[in-house]
Amino acid sequence: MVDFLIKIAVIALYTTIAMLVGILFMGIGRKIVARVHNRVGPPVYQGFIDIAKLLTKKTNISHGWIYDLALLFSLTGIILTILFLPIGGVKLLGTEGDAFLVLYLLAIPALGFALGAGASGNPNAAIGVMRALVMMLSYELPFVITMIALMIYYDTSSIAQIVELQRARWAIMIPPFMLAAAVADMALQGMLMEAPFDIPTAPHEIASGPMAEFGGKHLGSLMLYKAGTIVAYTTLFVDLFLGGGVVMHDGSILSYIVNFAVWFLLILLIFTLSLLINASFPRFRIEQAFKFYWKYEALLAFISLIWVYLMVIS
Amino acid sequence: MRYEEWNKISRIASRKSLWMLHFCTGCGAVELPPVMTSRYDMERFGMGPMATPRQADVLLITGYLTVKTLKRVVNVYEQMQSPKYVISFGSCPINGGMYWDSYNTVKRLDRYLPVDVYVGGCMPRPEGVMNAFLELMKLIDEGKARGWEKYQKYYEQYKRNQKMAFGFERGKNEGD
Amino acid sequence: MLELIFTALLVASFVTLFVKNGRVAAVISLIASLLPVAAIIDWGNEFGLKIFSFGLEKSMDFSIAGITMHFSVTALAWFFGVMIFFLIPPIMLFSYSFFEKNRGFFPFMLFLITAVFGILLASDFLTLFFFWELMAASSFILVYMGRDRKAIISYLSFSVLSAVLILTGIALIYSQNGTLLFSNVAFSADEVTVSAIILMIAGFAVKSALMPLHAWAPFVYSKADEPFVAFLSGGLSKMGYYGMFLMLFALPGAKILQQYFDSTVATYILALIGAISAFIGTLLAFMEDDLRKLLAYSSIAQLGYIAVGFGIGSSLAITGALFQAFNHAFFKSVLFLAAGAVAYRTGKWKISELGGVAYKMPFTFMAALFSIFALAAIPITSGFAAKWLLYEAAVSNKYIFITPIMLIASVGAFLYSFRILYGVFLGENRHDDIKEAPLPMVAGMFLLVMPLIIFLIFPGYMLDMMHSALVNAGIGTVSHTNYVISTGMASYNTIAVVVGMMIAMIPAFLIYVLRKHRNIDFKDNFLAGEPYEIYGHISMHAANNFYKPIEDVLMPYLRKGATSFYMALYNAMGRVSKTVRRIYTGLSQDYAIYVAVFLLIIMGWLIW
Repeated sequence: MVDFLIKIAVIALYTTIAMLVGILFMGIGRKIVARVHNRVGPPVYQGFIDIAKLLTKKTNISHGWIYDLALLFSLTGIILTILFLPIGGVKLLGTEGDAFLVLYLLAIPALGFALGAGASGNPNAAIGVMRALVMMLSYELPFVITMIALMIYYDTSSIAQIVELQRARWAIMIPPFMLAAAVADMALQGMLMEAPFDIPTAPHEIASGPMAEFGGKHLGSLMLYKAGTIVAYTTLFVDLFLGGGVVMHDGSILSYIVNFAVWFLLILLIFTLSLLINASFPRFRIEQAFKFYWKYEALLAFISLIWVYLMVIS
Repeated sequence: MRYEEWNKISRIASRKSLWMLHFCTGCGAVELPPVMTSRYDMERFGMGPMATPRQADVLLITGYLTVKTLKRVVNVYEQMQSPKYVISFGSCPINGGMYWDSYNTVKRLDRYLPVDVYVGGCMPRPEGVMNAFLELMKLIDEGKARGWEKYQKYYEQYKRNQKMAFGFERGKNEGD
Repeated sequence: MLELIFTALLVASFVTLFVKNGRVAAVISLIASLLPVAAIIDWGNEFGLKIFSFGLEKSMDFSIAGITMHFSVTALAWFFGVMIFFLIPPIMLFSYSFFEKNRGFFPFMLFLITAVFGILLASDFLTLFFFWELMAASSFILVYMGRDRKAIISYLSFSVLSAVLILTGIALIYSQNGTLLFSNVAFSADEVTVSAIILMIAGFAVKSALMPLHAWAPFVYSKADEPFVAFLSGGLSKMGYYGMFLMLFALPGAKILQQYFDSTVATYILALIGAISAFIGTLLAFMEDDLRKLLAYSSIAQLGYIAVGFGIGSSLAITGALFQAFNHAFFKSVLFLAAGAVAYRTGKWKISELGGVAYKMPFTFMAALFSIFALAAIPITSGFAAKWLLYEAAVSNKYIFITPIMLIASVGAFLYSFRILYGVFLGENRHDDIKEAPLPMVAGMFLLVMPLIIFLIFPGYMLDMMHSALVNAGIGTVSHTNYVISTGMASYNTIAVVVGMMIAMIPAFLIYVLRKHRNIDFKDNFLAGEPYEIYGHISMHAANNFYKPIEDVLMPYLRKGATSFYMALYNAMGRVSKTVRRIYTGLSQDYAIYVAVFLLIIMGWLIW
């Protein structure tokens, strides 16, 4: 019983920290982009201020109960996803599901968001959701191919197990996975909706797309969702290719702290990489992004998959 | 709940994170890019442009308003979620400016919308715009930027003024 | 007693033929359709669903005109019976409101149920074929009532194709074995048996709309009555897979194919065809504007997954395939019924003409939403467990082509799901004068949604239900408890997901409750400051050519599809027939000349 309670407490602690890290990252991200633009930029804690402001807005409007599903689903779904991702070697609920489950759990917030955007009745929102879904179709192909390569190599589909099996060496040190990691990183660019793939929420074309009608607490919860996605996607990448950031295995208190710190640095590194690309590129059109992912990215991903397959069967 | 009773955190949060919607009808909009970019960099104060009125806190009226535009501005202002603030640019919204004798231009924006901060000048320089932002932040901090409350309180009066400007008879079809 | 059920169904069918009032006919059909359900529940005592028992016999021989028909219920037939017969009472409930007058839906539907009951109970090939043809005939009449030339011709010609393929296969098997009883047939790895197996699988694949043989589905699904289409897509398409399972695993055809080709190439091709069906069906689905055609392509896609499972052939894969078949039966029926309910109120089928229905028909929307969760395999319904098992099977067998195709097809399902959700139910509020669908319709849909939620939490029950079917076919089962499925690669704990979701909902719920909001009208919308009244006459519903950008990229590759091949074939046949028809001019002189020429030729041949 005590063990169970400790487990619950650890899960709650890690999830809360993950969400806080996500909010912090939004500030860090704006700071990094500002530095690339030769500006000072907002303080790193800007994300907290923004969310606090949105959640304390005096009036909130709603377009009906389906619109409110966006608020409920998006935040729920992203927290649920984080529960199933190992963070810094701590498995949370990672043993109860696997990579496929995580992929589909990530669809819950996206679908909730899409429902809310559709219910708002704004045509821009519908176009934004269409772009987001087409982007999803685009980047998922190379990403799932790299994921399948990993699953075939490690002969498991559980993320916790994949992290465990990378103790000796991280996946990225194995030649085919270098290629796969490069592909997955570009897919990550699309998942995080950073330029050149910020098509769904392009503020100048379609008035920030799905979010056009969101304000107050609804927008606040969407920003929490955005914060969550940053952590969830970068953690997914780190878990799959960089061993989850696990460097100490002895199970002491110190190892937890060190692993957590390494995980933090790694996701910051991945996020920074994505932001540097974001700061220096203009925006693709939707069909260009689709072609990019399905032609070049998918081909490279497939090469790595076949490479892994040949390695495994020989 | 009255504005004074709002806790301090909420006030600090809304001061430090002013998202603005610029209604770029007049010539003042050209002063905004330098304010946003690396020379003046308003993101230092957590300010940033937003795409729709639902998301924004500050409405920037950047220059003169015709009667036709005023209708849209009122629509946009009413779609914003309180607390919300209005900053007007240049001398045109104050007294008509160089359009003082135009038949079609709104002379005093104050009659139709509650303006929190005016930036004088034709055109105001980016320093002036930055100063206005800081002034607004100060007012919010002190609890004095209460234009949105005023709009709620004297709603009838504002509506009457707006209707007068649009014209009673032609009110329905105007702007089509 | 078993004869009694057949007789009762036929009598009910006959009686409803003469009932003009749709309501009365619906009640009779509803009661009659409960008979097979009762039989299934009774047999359940043996196969894992223990509710009650009244001692119905399991097998029966029935002789007519010197031919003996053998009936007996197997675990496999029982499982398919569960997924098919539990569909029918809710559909009949739906039809109670749907049909004002009895236009022939009820008698032929009951006839169809009789035929399906016969197919599932048949234990020799001849009985199977007899009832298969009854099914084809009665469903053809139901299609015919749609009064659409393309639908009728395509359904008829594909039904005939299916019958020819199956009959040839049966003849070949008979020539090899000299018997038609399933229990006596012994396959051996020779050319005749292998070609018989392949022919019969192709014949069954027609019914389950597998990719090159799917061309009838979009036409038929979009023109026939909705309750029938719900059953056609949900129930009848499973009969094809029943036949396939019978051929591949119950009579071990898969092993014979493997022996003959000395590799798994044949079953691999089946899996690949399934995956390609899933992929292409999805792509075609989200470009479709007609709601029923969209659902038809989505059926083709979702049914493709079952073929993938059968093709892979491991216990994981077949479990996943049967689970997917079960889910598909229910969620696709709900979607077709919801489409029917929306059309019943609005009279529209085109997605671009609908919009904003959800606020007027909230319960229909809820039912459709849940079935869309199941369709898109989101782990709020049981849809996920099935697809998960299939993915696990494909990855653990290292199928590097099929797995990505399946996964990306499933992502594509989100695209057309949103097309349905937004285009039909959300968006601009265009229908002010409609009401929620009548209570029987809503009740029917919600009854069909129930299993999707039950088997979300307890997928173990589903695996228990198919346990004996899999064991009888010599396939192992997947290790599971009531709510944990474990494979060699990972495990999936549904309680962890459900409880985790409830806990994860707390912060969102707090935000939702603690901060008050005010509901506003659709018209108060951000249109760059323009008031909605000005643009009231312009459509604010972004549903025309919704996926235009991706359509522009993909359409050049999809244009030369199977449907256009069949259309070319159809046109060529038409031209040939027209040319041949010129002989029959209708003038007696011409016929006299034909006779004279014929006689001359005969004489010349004799002289020569």
